[in-house]
Amino acid sequence: MDQTINFKQVTHTYQAGTPFAQNALSQVSVTIAGGSFTAIIGHTGSGKSTLVQHINALLKPTAGEIKVSGRTITPATTNKNLKQLRKHVGMVFQFPEKQLFEETVIKDIMFGPKNYGVSDEEARLDAKQAMGLVGLDGSLQDKSPFDLSGGQMRRVAIAGVLAMKPEILILDEPTAGLDPRGHKEIMDLAEKLHQQQGMTIILVTHQMDDVVDYASDVIVMDQGKVVKHGEPKDIFSDPEWVYDMHLDLPSAAEFACRLITAGVPLKTIPLTIDKLADAIVGVIQGGQSHE
Amino acid sequence: MKDIIQIKNISFNYPDQERLFTNFSMNIHEGEWTAIIGQNGSGKSTLARLIDGLIVLKSGQIVVDGLTVNDENIFDIRNKIGMVFQNPEDQFVGATVEDDVAFGLENRQIPREKMQQIVENSLKQVGMWDFRDRIPANLSGGQKQRVAIAGIIALSPKIIILDEATSMLDPRGRQEILKLVDKIKHDNDLTVISITHDIDEAAGADQVIVVNKGKVVEADQPDKIFGDINKLTSIGLSAPFTSELLSALRKRGVDSPSQYLNDQRLITWIKQLISSK
Repeated sequence: MDQTINFKQVTHTYQAGTPFAQNALSQVSVTIAGGSFTAIIGHTGSGKSTLVQHINALLKPTAGEIKVSGRTITPATTNKNLKQLRKHVGMVFQFPEKQLFEETVIKDIMFGPKNYGVSDEEARLDAKQAMGLVGLDGSLQDKSPFDLSGGQMRRVAIAGVLAMKPEILILDEPTAGLDPRGHKEIMDLAEKLHQQQGMTIILVTHQMDDVVDYASDVIVMDQGKVVKHGEPKDIFSDPEWVYDMHLDLPSAAEFACRLITAGVPLKTIPLTIDKLADAIVGVIQGGQSHE
Repeated sequence: MKDIIQIKNISFNYPDQERLFTNFSMNIHEGEWTAIIGQNGSGKSTLARLIDGLIVLKSGQIVVDGLTVNDENIFDIRNKIGMVFQNPEDQFVGATVEDDVAFGLENRQIPREKMQQIVENSLKQVGMWDFRDRIPANLSGGQKQRVAIAGIIALSPKIIILDEATSMLDPRGRQEILKLVDKIKHDNDLTVISITHDIDEAAGADQVIVVNKGKVVEADQPDKIFGDINKLTSIGLSAPFTSELLSALRKRGVDSPSQYLNDQRLITWIKQLISSK
């Protein structure tokens, strides 16, 4: 099925019709390409989470429409008949391990598929497959999820979403609070799902290094609007603009800017450590010329 | 230098779980910022809870500012230690920011007038006085952490323990909280222990203690510890950015120093390298 997501003039107002009414999204029009690994960045309160919650109709637009996998979500969309859409679009919230509740790992992962009406047997198969995908050892299946480490608990929670076999996966700050190893495991999992399963990945993040390392497309949000949409190199090529958006540069780009300020004649702003090292070697070999 | 916390030969395990610490010893120097780093599950947070007497030792001894952690001293010790946890929401009790900061003082039966002064002073120190009538739940992550810190400095502790206190914040919020704690540390002559897996946070400490599987792997100044990328990654941590860049340059045939350089020293070194060519 086509995985393209199309926002057309979408406005979302929280507490509409009250004195507290607040526009979280203002006339957003953007297309997220099917099969892409799209990062959504923007400072706290810029509308990132509100945007992604429209993709599986957890929130409905106050105005405008969203097209996703052949369905159109409008202000008039009711909660009826949304099952297929929500099966199609998997959503992993921040700190998803807080939603674990079952007695055993396998039961927790089976909960989603069973909700969609599959048999116990089938749900168990889906759950086992999902455990394999996230790299959880089969021996953990009868353990209580609450006896696992933080990184493992998070993988159980993600497996619970994957067991429903979504084609679009939304990850809202999936690595918050994990140690560097756990962080890398979760990000590598997202990359694997993207490349091997062909899933469309939508990543909400504050980690600019992850944007550079994993994303093919980047959407920048500010005050409820999409202010830029492009490849990582397009987004980070203008450091001043990035700072104006209250965002950070990837570590390598930030360090490159400091080198330039200190008088090191780098010609471009590299986004990764390897490219920065190449650029520094280039300057050393080329002497101090400024051409 | 005086050791404000001495941990002597402790052993500990949670019921029905593997031994977490076996004959574990380490010291925290008074007036310093000590970072305890290690991956999830390495025992870092357990250590903080043992120091504060929130969980009870099986064997060994912990001494905090001259007092042994035991039933008799526990309340005196808790008066000396302020703990900031990962999620400040878990410890909010007041209906407003001001009430929340006053909570600890009420428990200690501080007279009302004095309490008002302390609350005002504490909230001003963290830059949250203007938010005193707000509901804590409606603040941003960084603001919540500031309120939690105000609640702690109101009780004038000698030691602040940050237990992954910045791990939920975005990079900018993280920097702001660390800067704030550093200022408060200087203004109030505090000892700070930060439990973290953020290597760049640890790089600013006076002393770094690397913990893995309930053992101290290394305890030294950050310079001495952060040069060795392989050692850090082998225990699930990442290396500081500067060490990774030096390693990438070394791979490209550049004769790079093997010890840790902070950002400023690395910039100076690169400039010298270029001008010497």
